[in-house]
Amino acid sequence: MKLLSQRLLGPLTLVSLALTVWMGLVVTPPDRTQGDLARLVYVHPAIAWVALYLSFGTATVASILYLWRRTRSLVADQVAHCAMEVSLVFIVLTLITGSIWGRPTWGVWWAWDARLTSSAILGVLAVGYLALRRANDDPTLRARRSAVFAVLSAINVPIIHFSVLWWKTLHQGATVFTANRSLKIHGSMAWTLLLSFVAFTLLFVWLLRARYRLEEQRTVSQTSSLSVALEQRRREGAH
Amino acid sequence: MTTTEPTLDLSPVAPPPSRNRSRRRSILVLVVLGLVVVLLLSQGILHSLNYFKTVDEALASRQSIGTSEIRLEGVVKAHTIVRTASGASFVLAGGHSRYVTVDSKGTPPQLFQANIPVVVVGHFSNQHSLVFQGSQILVKHTASYIAQHPTRVKAPNGTTR
Repeated sequence: MKLLSQRLLGPLTLVSLALTVWMGLVVTPPDRTQGDLARLVYVHPAIAWVALYLSFGTATVASILYLWRRTRSLVADQVAHCAMEVSLVFIVLTLITGSIWGRPTWGVWWAWDARLTSSAILGVLAVGYLALRRANDDPTLRARRSAVFAVLSAINVPIIHFSVLWWKTLHQGATVFTANRSLKIHGSMAWTLLLSFVAFTLLFVWLLRARYRLEEQRTVSQTSSLSVALEQRRREGAH
Repeated sequence: MTTTEPTLDLSPVAPPPSRNRSRRRSILVLVVLGLVVVLLLSQGILHSLNYFKTVDEALASRQSIGTSEIRLEGVVKAHTIVRTASGASFVLAGGHSRYVTVDSKGTPPQLFQANIPVVVVGHFSNQHSLVFQGSQILVKHTASYIAQHPTRVKAPNGTTR
């Protein structure tokens, strides 16, 4: 029997996403400078939050757990793999929504500044992680190599985060996680931004859970296929 | 004469050695990945770790910049925007009351307006000129989000903005 929290996860995700859309498009006022373009603030940062911190973070932590002998298990490796796949999807979405926002505000789809370039590099590293998994047939070898790669790739995450502080970028600075902890977004706009972070966090949990269950079923299916094949051989041998 | 059928060996068989093949594939993936990362770095961060020079920085290193192409950042001074047949001209303000006149070609972005920070791609007209010939204007919006209708939004401290 499913836990109540598991049963509620899907509906809660849907409701919070719908509420974010309604608050973002209907309730919140336009921004003084950007007008209605600012409504992308209820989508783009939350997607980036999932891509960089939640998904890539989960993949990194699971990889560390795999590399540490006391916590080593194939479950940690599978979680890392699933989280990295989710991360790649959200990195691509981050770059797409950023471009859609950049064209009317900056005037260009893309700029080679430190924030955008380091984000693109993270996407390449996520692709590299998945390619590396495909390149190895041995499950133990695959798990170890990809875990090391994930941990090394995670160095890029703080670089992305602090890029707008360390260097001069076209990308805006922090609105929420500012150096002096002052919020640069007000009223209903701030609450909607917070709601978007909650909604996309729920979506991440739902996606990761669904992807992990798929991985589990695939493992079970592969094991049972092997058993069936062995059984068939036995029967052939008996005749 | 009776023939006995050989018994079928169903004991688990060790997989063929695949470590070398795996290693070769892994190295290939890492090499391709390294090349892509270097390509991105060379396009982006290595050429423009700092995406622009501020007006103050550009004027401080005016001699060394000469007429080479740079990205110049400053705030568009109010009441100086003039739409021209080829684009727009305006005054770009830095800190400490330092200014550069910009003559830019091409249509400015949607958000281009007075008192907004912009990055202009271009070069100074000549070795000593303070006129900047722009080929592209990029609007650098701030990180602050404030409602267009002041009475509808209150700041966390209760004041209306």
